Amino acid sequence: MRVLRRIGGRLLASLPALLGVVVFTFLLMRVLPGDPAVFFSSGPNAGQAEIDAVRKDLGLDRPIPEQLLRYLYDVGTGNLGRSLTTGQTVVHDLGERLPASLELTLCALVLALGLALPLGILAAVRPGSAIDHAVRMVCTLGVCVPTFVSGLLLVYVFYVQFGIAPDPTGRLDIFAASPPDITGFLLIDFALVGDWEGWQAAAAQLVLPALTMALFVLAPLARMTRASMLSVLGSDFIRTARSIGLSRWRVVAVYGLRNAILPVLTIIGIVFSTMLGANVLVEKVFSWPGIGSYALDALLASDYAPVQGFVLLMAAVFVMVNLLIDVLYGIADPRVSVA
Amino acid sequence: MTFNRRQGLKGVLGAAVGGAMGSAALPQEAAAQTRAETLRHVMGGTVNSLDPTAPGSTRESYGVAMSVYDRLASFGRKQLDGNWVFDLDNIRGELAEKVERSADGRTLTFHLRPDATWHDGTPVTAEDIKWSLDRAVLARSLAPSQLSSGSLTKAEQFSITGPRTVEVKLDQPDRLALANLCVPFAIMVNSTLAKKHATSDDPWALAWMKENTAASGAYMVETNRPGQQLILKRNEAWKGGAGGNLPFFKRIILQTVPEAATRSNLMERGDADLSIDLASSDIPMLQQRGKVKVVSIPATNAFNAIVFNTQMAPFDNVKVRQAIAAAIPYGDIFQAAQFNRGKALFGAHWTEAPSSDFPQAMPLNLDLDRAKSLMAEAGHANGFATTFSFATSYAPFAEPMAALVKESLAKIGIDVTIQKMPDSQMATMITEKRVPFFTDSGTAWLPAPDYFFRIYFTREQRWNFSSWNNPEVNALAAAARFETDPATYDAACKRMITLLGDQVPQIMLWQANTDAVMAADVNNYTYWFHRQIDYRDLKRG
Repeated sequence: MRVLRRIGGRLLASLPALLGVVVFTFLLMRVLPGDPAVFFSSGPNAGQAEIDAVRKDLGLDRPIPEQLLRYLYDVGTGNLGRSLTTGQTVVHDLGERLPASLELTLCALVLALGLALPLGILAAVRPGSAIDHAVRMVCTLGVCVPTFVSGLLLVYVFYVQFGIAPDPTGRLDIFAASPPDITGFLLIDFALVGDWEGWQAAAAQLVLPALTMALFVLAPLARMTRASMLSVLGSDFIRTARSIGLSRWRVVAVYGLRNAILPVLTIIGIVFSTMLGANVLVEKVFSWPGIGSYALDALLASDYAPVQGFVLLMAAVFVMVNLLIDVLYGIADPRVSVA
Repeated sequence: MTFNRRQGLKGVLGAAVGGAMGSAALPQEAAAQTRAETLRHVMGGTVNSLDPTAPGSTRESYGVAMSVYDRLASFGRKQLDGNWVFDLDNIRGELAEKVERSADGRTLTFHLRPDATWHDGTPVTAEDIKWSLDRAVLARSLAPSQLSSGSLTKAEQFSITGPRTVEVKLDQPDRLALANLCVPFAIMVNSTLAKKHATSDDPWALAWMKENTAASGAYMVETNRPGQQLILKRNEAWKGGAGGNLPFFKRIILQTVPEAATRSNLMERGDADLSIDLASSDIPMLQQRGKVKVVSIPATNAFNAIVFNTQMAPFDNVKVRQAIAAAIPYGDIFQAAQFNRGKALFGAHWTEAPSSDFPQAMPLNLDLDRAKSLMAEAGHANGFATTFSFATSYAPFAEPMAALVKESLAKIGIDVTIQKMPDSQMATMITEKRVPFFTDSGTAWLPAPDYFFRIYFTREQRWNFSSWNNPEVNALAAAARFETDPATYDAACKRMITLLGDQVPQIMLWQANTDAVMAADVNNYTYWFHRQIDYRDLKRG
């Protein structure tokens, strides 16, 4: 009960920050050069009358303070405006695209953790060994190669050359039937209706983009695991555990890892939030209908509403992820609690 | 079960699990046949509106509108160097079976097809046509300004004269009135259906039609996921085609694939059938490997140019403009920026325009001595400093162009700073006439010479990039649109082209190639004025 109340308190405390984000983005978009009314009335023969009409439609002919108040009211009532680029409401677009981004990011994160934790632990158990160096090299490579290079490379090898990967266009083969929209997560939706063939198709689409993203975030995760494990493995309680003859596995995986996991959790939170919003390049290469490329396209077109909606969503996700990580802290180490 | 791509195409479709709601279970052979009758078009852009006239609709939505809606009439097409291109001078009926033009050119009579029906099966009536024409000139959309270029401005011009005849009256015999009824904005709408969704604020159902259709065209919208994909299915009752034929493809999939390299890969693997916006640097390589067919057609109704703001010093001085025009290394730029692909609009040597065709090759040649003496005459013997701007999306060709312009102009004392701007910012700056010296491109839907001049070289408006204000051109362009005598019209056009060549408000460079890349068995691709694909033309095999 106390934990719940504290979580509620934390959420309330984040409201001013969210408000700040909304106002700041709102103002920033209007300061940027580039007029959406001009950009979107670029049809042949469109003249000043068309530009003015679009401007009026968007409410951009009103003074900025009034626009801001109207926008805040709209946000308060759950209306984030309409995207000029897709012609849909921003809420609809984000609702359709957030699951796509989340599904990809979560898969990539699981993949990255599955590789990074063992690698980091191995490197920490044998510091300075060949394994340690090999892990360091893999991490350096992963972080050095930009995602669009590794993504295009993977596409070239597995799709163009060998033809074993499905075509890199979005979440599902274009000729395949999509599952009913229950959660928006294709893997879950397919599983819910028991369509395992569809599930496989969706999973196949996920492999390459998730791998591309995982390679890129391997380094921070593995390096942090290694550093944290090194310091823990050198501490007194580990020496004690060893001296009383506990098995090596138990010492490393239970006493070592559990104590070393806190900094790794912090990094996971940061990595996750960054992957979710900032993986535009991966989304572009794989035509993934995610929120990152959606926001970038809108920004390039000076399409205010989607950019503002995206920033607000990301801020909210950040708050939630940080909260979740804090809760996980408490589980990993009972001495820490949600403050 | 192992999953691979080939099984993916057939298997996933074929075995697409019956239990799930809405999934169509097709037998394997049927699926393969469906694939042959399905066209998959991959594109970088998105279709953001099903109503092409909605303010803010993208170019891709014009292509969709051509296939989903009918217009009263349609341009024909002709062969040019073995490729199909649209033909402005050969107009046939589409929803109308017959179009009559009165002797004085001021009345157009449209006789509707007796068997024409809307997608919901109800017959097309003269009332629908009248409503659609009214909508095109009255609604707050992109249509009125386009149709006004054909003197179509008032609802009173359109009248119902019989159960299946509609008459269009013109105050003056505008040369482009009929042509304007063939453009994507002149869609004919099922008024009974649209009116059900009209409100007092929105009497023309603009909001509803952005996401729904009330059409009679060759294709119907099957599913639409804005920003991702749009699927069209053939309208089996369509009669508006040339010779009354149905289009070949039963289904069209338009898919947004933002990354050009991915589009190339899809084409090369044979998973996609058609793309018209691949990176131009990929085209030679694709052509060389020979797995796909590349149809390269110079965009006959477009141009790329280097533009001066003629209202801004020092470019208000014609001598400065002429000097720069003589200092541009045309051949090098065409080679570096365009790989010599397209049609050059420079390198001619006339002083009087030899024909009324436009755009045509202009008397633009590199001559540094002449450039230097013109600079001296202009009072800029020591040169000056300026910026050369371009939009980010033009970077592939504008970057080499800018570098060569900078290098060459340095030889006549002009110090050029290169400025690259995001597209929306560039568009704003150009519209506000704040850019002195830049590169841009233009397309005319109706490539009649006088239309080109009216749009791109007269009046204080966005598309007059150079803000050129030449009284003689203004007068000629305003009069030419109503000129019924071909000889007088030709003379006026030649005079305007001659003035453009002499006064160089902008330096015409080239007409870029439109490179349509398609599967080897896809035929009949036609270059259309709206620069999108008309799916009704295409066939496989």
